[in-house]
Amino acid sequence: MAKYIGLRLAQSVFVLFGLSIIIFFIARVVPGDPARAALGFLATREQVEKMRVEMHLDKSFPEQYYYWLRNVLHGDLGTSVYTKQPVTADLRRYIPATLELILFATLISLVLGQVTGILAGYFRNSWFDGVSRLVSYLGIATPSFVIAILLIFIFSQIFRLAPSVGRIPIMMTAPPTVTGFMVLDGLIAGRPDVAWVALNHLILPAFSLAMIHIAQEGRITRTSIVENLDKDYITMHKVHGLRTSRIVFKYLLRPSIIPTVTVMGLDFAFLMSNAFMVELVFMWPGFARYAVTTMLNKDLNAMVAVVVVIGVTFALVNLLVDILIMWLDPTIRIQRRGGSA
Amino acid sequence: MRMRRFLLGIAVLALGIGLWCHVGLGAAENVAVINGYPTITADPATASDWYDTEAMYNLYSPLVYPTPEGSVRAHLATSWTPVGGDLKHWRFTLREGVKFHTGYEMTADDVAFSMTRFITMGRGNSGPLGKVTATVVDRYTVDFTLDKPSAIFPETLALFFPVEKSLVLANLKKPGNYGDLGDYGEEWLATHDAGTGPYKMTSHIPGQRLDAARFVDYFEGWPDEGWGADEVPIERLVFIMETDYTSLMTLLKSRGLDLEINGGWDLTQLRDIQNDSRFDLTYVWAQNVTVWMNSKAAPTDDEHFRKAILYAFDYEAIVGPWKPFGNGETGLLTPAMGGYVPIEPQPRAQNLEKARQELALSKYANNLKDVKVVFHFCGGLSFEEDVGLQLQADMAKLGVKVEVAGPQWPQFSAECSTPEATPNMTIFLFAPQAFPTHDYYLYSMFAKNGLGWIFEAHWFFEDPQIQTLLDATRAEPDAVKRLAIYEQLQPLIAAHALAFYPYQKPTLFVHQAYIAGPKVKIAFVGPSENMYNWRINMKLKEQALAK
Repeated sequence: MAKYIGLRLAQSVFVLFGLSIIIFFIARVVPGDPARAALGFLATREQVEKMRVEMHLDKSFPEQYYYWLRNVLHGDLGTSVYTKQPVTADLRRYIPATLELILFATLISLVLGQVTGILAGYFRNSWFDGVSRLVSYLGIATPSFVIAILLIFIFSQIFRLAPSVGRIPIMMTAPPTVTGFMVLDGLIAGRPDVAWVALNHLILPAFSLAMIHIAQEGRITRTSIVENLDKDYITMHKVHGLRTSRIVFKYLLRPSIIPTVTVMGLDFAFLMSNAFMVELVFMWPGFARYAVTTMLNKDLNAMVAVVVVIGVTFALVNLLVDILIMWLDPTIRIQRRGGSA
Repeated sequence: MRMRRFLLGIAVLALGIGLWCHVGLGAAENVAVINGYPTITADPATASDWYDTEAMYNLYSPLVYPTPEGSVRAHLATSWTPVGGDLKHWRFTLREGVKFHTGYEMTADDVAFSMTRFITMGRGNSGPLGKVTATVVDRYTVDFTLDKPSAIFPETLALFFPVEKSLVLANLKKPGNYGDLGDYGEEWLATHDAGTGPYKMTSHIPGQRLDAARFVDYFEGWPDEGWGADEVPIERLVFIMETDYTSLMTLLKSRGLDLEINGGWDLTQLRDIQNDSRFDLTYVWAQNVTVWMNSKAAPTDDEHFRKAILYAFDYEAIVGPWKPFGNGETGLLTPAMGGYVPIEPQPRAQNLEKARQELALSKYANNLKDVKVVFHFCGGLSFEEDVGLQLQADMAKLGVKVEVAGPQWPQFSAECSTPEATPNMTIFLFAPQAFPTHDYYLYSMFAKNGLGWIFEAHWFFEDPQIQTLLDATRAEPDAVKRLAIYEQLQPLIAAHALAFYPYQKPTLFVHQAYIAGPKVKIAFVGPSENMYNWRINMKLKEQALAK
């Protein structure tokens, strides 16, 4: 297992290296003047030229890449022309905000997706199965920002049950940043009120992101459950008089969840960069919004860093998913060792 | 049966969670939540666009302060004079007893350091100042020596904000671009404050949020003269920076937003706000909507063709619905500015007959079907697109094709780097963000040594009379005589039809009825957003929150 993980990590480094070259090149050929963006509107022509030299924009592409890579190997991802802050500082600020959101969304989609999938599968062709199918289609077809607006309208404006803006109320003082996760930082700072409020603020945006995945994962789980339900070993357990809940959770769930885990991993990595619209609607200061802002402002250093972060997320999540699947399905473990299941 | 019990359990749990999540309004606090456009940096030397200037006027004090008449008055500097009549050498006397937020007194040393820093770093609003050398004469006197004589130099200092020298030097990051001075404190100042302004920063997340608290020892004091009986200074400011106006409307109606200064509401939202007694609408300054016509690209290289466009455009169709909100006629300057001269077309209405006459005089008269006018706007700005689409429809009546496209800002702005790359027509909104504003709208936009780029996307500098008069404005120390030159310049420039001006677009400030202000209306970005100019009526706020 350790050898497998080491090999995968080594492969990932090569992939990320290639990715950085591609995005570095793309960032420099798309239209836009980063020197002008760094200086502001009232910069004179002379100031712009001076800034171009400072940013090495007068050098060839390989030379520019060399300067960038040299700095990155020293832990310096450069300065964002948009925030005027080191890119590493921006990433430290924005990544946890989005991670907290998508972790919560993933948890919701896992629990609700599995519950609806199991129930729909076990009670297939019942009214519940029909209703869950309809809701799943709606969930998959409806964009997350539309769901977000609907949730705000219903739960925040009409019933005033949940907040709709930011990570905590505007007037609340944020706890000192330790992890960047507002809920955790609130608990660490001994402020359970902040943790509770931050949890409330997570509900609507997390649900907005989770809806499509609840629908997707529910359908996949339902299909897996139906497939495995008729297998001999399940029939044998039924004949032996085992309780339904024991059959479902001990014998049926584990093999049925494998396809869902694969999809969930991809969804998680996807959300890292695609939660933009939900973050915009909820005024959530997250990584996805930052990523889009850097692209729109041709913030070269930040653009490259953002793409590399997304690449790292995909690589790590895929690795974690593979490890999880090996744990869930021993036959895969044996196959990897060169044996037969 | 079990299924039903299970589902019932889920429903009860959801309801319980919902009840816990109930959102309630807090007690009335003396705090104003203000939405502006993203403040990127709080460093006065790198602050550039008008969004940053709004923050600067709260956290810092400029050396001189704009007046409603378009001039400047004493502020951190109490007086100034050219030394020996030489417009290259200026002496400023500073106000005594001005305190930084740390409690230390501001002296000439701080001002000289700040100017040297401003010019050396060469960012933000320093461009128009040119090369300036600062010298300390005594504790409260500082000399500035320019590389070129400039009669308007004192006025440009409305965007120069002195910082506390010792505080900046204590927070240098090394190594940096400035040798022993490291990064000149750039990284620290981006999220900290070293100013003398009416508010002091308590926290800043660039592009997201800036918190500030009232500086009780502000040198101008906090007199109640001119304010209502229950109107008190705002103790805390929370600047948020959101651009989604649907979310902002939710926040406004739930009393979570007190003042909006970016003015990005659409027509439906503005009508809704106008009809709601809980909110007030006001405006102080307007953006000049300007459509440049590239004089180096066919067919807008022909002056008659450009004039035809001026007369063909249906101004009423674009302005009409927005008239109740202050949109209206404008020119090279905005109507509120002293010395404003109305330019053609007069009246500001479509005149297709005159447009046809101008087209007939152009070199493209006989092959109109072969010409194409390319109109670019900044992607995402629907009101800019509306101007393009209106022009397209209007020119179609004359048999001229107009292609309208909206590339995103990086591409759109990059196109204006050279005459060859600039499309026939490009639309921009110019807020009064540089001082003096007459110089900004005229010299910076029409002089050969102007700001170039998006500010001069007409690429016309061939009229020697205009260039001479523009240079004369910067050499004329008498403000009245300078204004006369500005008045002379406007029809001369307008005669070349380098731009057409669909309308002026006031930046509408929307605020809760318990927020009062601005006390003094100055048509320049910064002073109106200076929260020293606003107050809060706590009694009205308590009543509003109780409802």
